[in-house]
Amino acid sequence: MIELRQLTKRYGDTLAVDELSFRVEPGHVTGFLGPNGAGKSTSMRLVLGLDAPTSGQALVNGGRYADLRRPLHEVGALLDAGAVHPGRSAYNHLMCLALSNDIGARRVAQVLELVGLSGVARKKAGGFSLGMKQRLGIAAALLGDPGVLMFDEPVNGLDPDGVRWIRGLMRGLAEEGRTVLLSSHLMSEMALTADRIVIVGRGRLVADATVAELTAGYPSLEEAYMALTASSVEYGAAR
Amino acid sequence: MRAVLASEWLKLRSVGSTGYAVGAAALTIVLGIVWTLYVVSLADARGSIRAAAPEEGFLPLVQVSLAVLGVLAITSEQADGMLRTSLAAVPRRGRLLFAKAAVVGGVTLAASAAVLIATYTISRLIAGDRALGFNDIGLLDGLPTVLASALSVAVLALVGLGLGAATRSTAAGIFSVVSLLFVLPSVAAYLPAPWNTRVASIMLPNLVPQIAGDRLSRRLGDGVLPPWAALLVLIAYGAAALLAGYLVLRRRDA
Amino acid sequence: MSVLAAEWLKVRSIRSSHLIVGIGLGSVLLAAGLAWMAIGMYEDASPSMRRSARIAELEEVVVIVPQLCLGILGLVSWTSDRVLQTSLTIVPRRWPVLMSKAAVAGGLGLVVGAVTVFGTFFLSRGMLAGRYPVSGFAESWPILVPTSISVAVFAVLGVGLGVIMRSTAGAVAVLVGLVYVIPMIGGNLPEPWSERLGSVMMGALPREIAGASLASSVYGELLSPVAAALVLAAYALLPLLAGAWLLRRRDA
Ligand SMILES: Nc1ncnc2c1ncn2[C@@H]1O[C@H](COP(=O)(O)OP(=O)(O)OP(=O)(O)O)[C@@H](O)[C@H]1O
Ligand SMILES: [Mg+2]
Repeated sequence: MIELRQLTKRYGDTLAVDELSFRVEPGHVTGFLGPNGAGKSTSMRLVLGLDAPTSGQALVNGGRYADLRRPLHEVGALLDAGAVHPGRSAYNHLMCLALSNDIGARRVAQVLELVGLSGVARKKAGGFSLGMKQRLGIAAALLGDPGVLMFDEPVNGLDPDGVRWIRGLMRGLAEEGRTVLLSSHLMSEMALTADRIVIVGRGRLVADATVAELTAGYPSLEEAYMALTASSVEYGAAR
Repeated sequence: MRAVLASEWLKLRSVGSTGYAVGAAALTIVLGIVWTLYVVSLADARGSIRAAAPEEGFLPLVQVSLAVLGVLAITSEQADGMLRTSLAAVPRRGRLLFAKAAVVGGVTLAASAAVLIATYTISRLIAGDRALGFNDIGLLDGLPTVLASALSVAVLALVGLGLGAATRSTAAGIFSVVSLLFVLPSVAAYLPAPWNTRVASIMLPNLVPQIAGDRLSRRLGDGVLPPWAALLVLIAYGAAALLAGYLVLRRRDA
Repeated sequence: MSVLAAEWLKVRSIRSSHLIVGIGLGSVLLAAGLAWMAIGMYEDASPSMRRSARIAELEEVVVIVPQLCLGILGLVSWTSDRVLQTSLTIVPRRWPVLMSKAAVAGGLGLVVGAVTVFGTFFLSRGMLAGRYPVSGFAESWPILVPTSISVAVFAVLGVGLGVIMRSTAGAVAVLVGLVYVIPMIGGNLPEPWSERLGSVMMGALPREIAGASLASSVYGELLSPVAAALVLAAYALLPLLAGAWLLRRRDA
């Protein structure tokens, strides 16, 4: 379970996250939506203890992430698929992370197989395409077989086959009773994958409901999203 | 802790830059052999000669190469974003930096000791019983200086790691190390006497001769520090840089 | 021309370049600090010691700081240019980009070099005059001008090394090797090699160009002014041209 309590993060004079509170429960996929710059990635960094909150709290399984002893066994996250050393092989990249959390080489081979990168495991990650890097990032998130998972725009750059694979993967993980938080800008895809939706705008909570509730009053999730975020789009094109 | 050490050791082994850095440092052995052969040929022509010892003359090469290795151990992760992934796996930042320091310190100490001892021994063997100036003391008597040099290289790599973490940039990290290693000492040497010697005595590259009880240079004469104090100052350089790196790493958003 | 403007904007808009230029300019303060210490020592000295008091030309001592800074600025402008990919779609050929970067870095180097070298000269002479024997402007300017230019040479050299090495760490290491490691190693060589190598080291060139006598024992003075000027130009241009050639080879 992930829980945000009055979470606030300020960078200089930008208020990236503004008194944000919501819970992500196990057992279903929670979609995390919001316009560019709404604070989704920042919220995820705050949950992982990478950035320090200005005020408020972000809790995983009721505690602070920084207090976890072997965090990969409890929380897996994909934040930025490009964050790999270009000269390191995919296998070694995962192995570096695995070793730090007492995870064995067998599990590394397993997740590589799972994301379909076994064939290029010994190739340098710098030469990977965007979609391959996304798969590598997903493999890293799954390494410790964690109960809580966060993915920041994992379908970016994936081929149609990959998009469908992610959909199945996310739903499968949730059905196993895990907590899954998934951000994306693809509304139709989100409607197929998520059960619950959290929408943020300008760092504040805009909506926290099931997909069914959101689509009840609107023709589609996209229409619902458009209507709800109309006032919080910061970087929209001029019309 | 053992897990984090194993992870950092693999990180260091699995990137190409480590190989280049150690390879550049190991070039000293080759250069040392060429140097000694050349000096030997001069000595055979002229009788005897006073030449610099190769493990001292080429020491800057070892220092720069392995200091860069230390800087890169942290700044390359910051540059490509891997540091976030690393911190998600090891949220205790002090622990991560400490593991990096242990691995970088161990690897650079082993590499510099191997390179310097090899250069030292091979050059003495090539020299045989010719009088080349640098081989006028017994083979074992020169070893303490060589080991002090190796230790200073390892400390320098840790200074690089600490300053890399503090400045969060490869270029700035290397610039800081180079400032400590070359810029400040060369500026200090231009101070009027006796301040040149006093200030030079606490400069990083001048600590090795003081630890070994040698003079700093012909111009600067003897340093003001006794061996134990020079050793303490050397360790203080590493500790201060790592502390600075830790404070920045702990406080800043990753 | 628009490429040049774009590169100038890039340098100007990156905070680290402000920092680098700031540290380079800060070398004037470093020199002032040295002069201040030297004055303190003079005041404490006995009359006989005062008569023999000597001090090095401070602008030549501290110029290594802006040299190194601008060298790093030059190479970072290439190695850490994340938009190199994007700017290549806008500017299909890389070599105008390269030449623009070199021009921007060189121009900035010239300004920073002139400000620090002449600034240090006037400031330190003002502080030291009357205590230490100091040279006047009329006899010094032939050294000051090539010393200032050497800062620009470093900047262009940095760009060249950045292209050749493609990595910040590698390029900085080579730059440091050229400036510090090779002269230090060269100083240990037996004659005549020590003097020969010392004569083509960057630190020796300004005085050789001016035809003045040697500043430091590490360097030599074998080159004529014209030859020294050519070597100085070669430091800037050879790596740059080698880089341009490599660019064409690496990918069309
Ligand atoms: N390290 C940082 N320094 C300064 N400002 C930041 C930083 N990180 C994020 N911000 C700002 O915080 C706000 C939220 O950014 P964030 O990346 O969280 O948005 P997002 O919802 O993930 O957007 P997107 O959908 O485009 O990925 C933005 O205004 C951004 O500019
Ligand atoms: Mg985002």
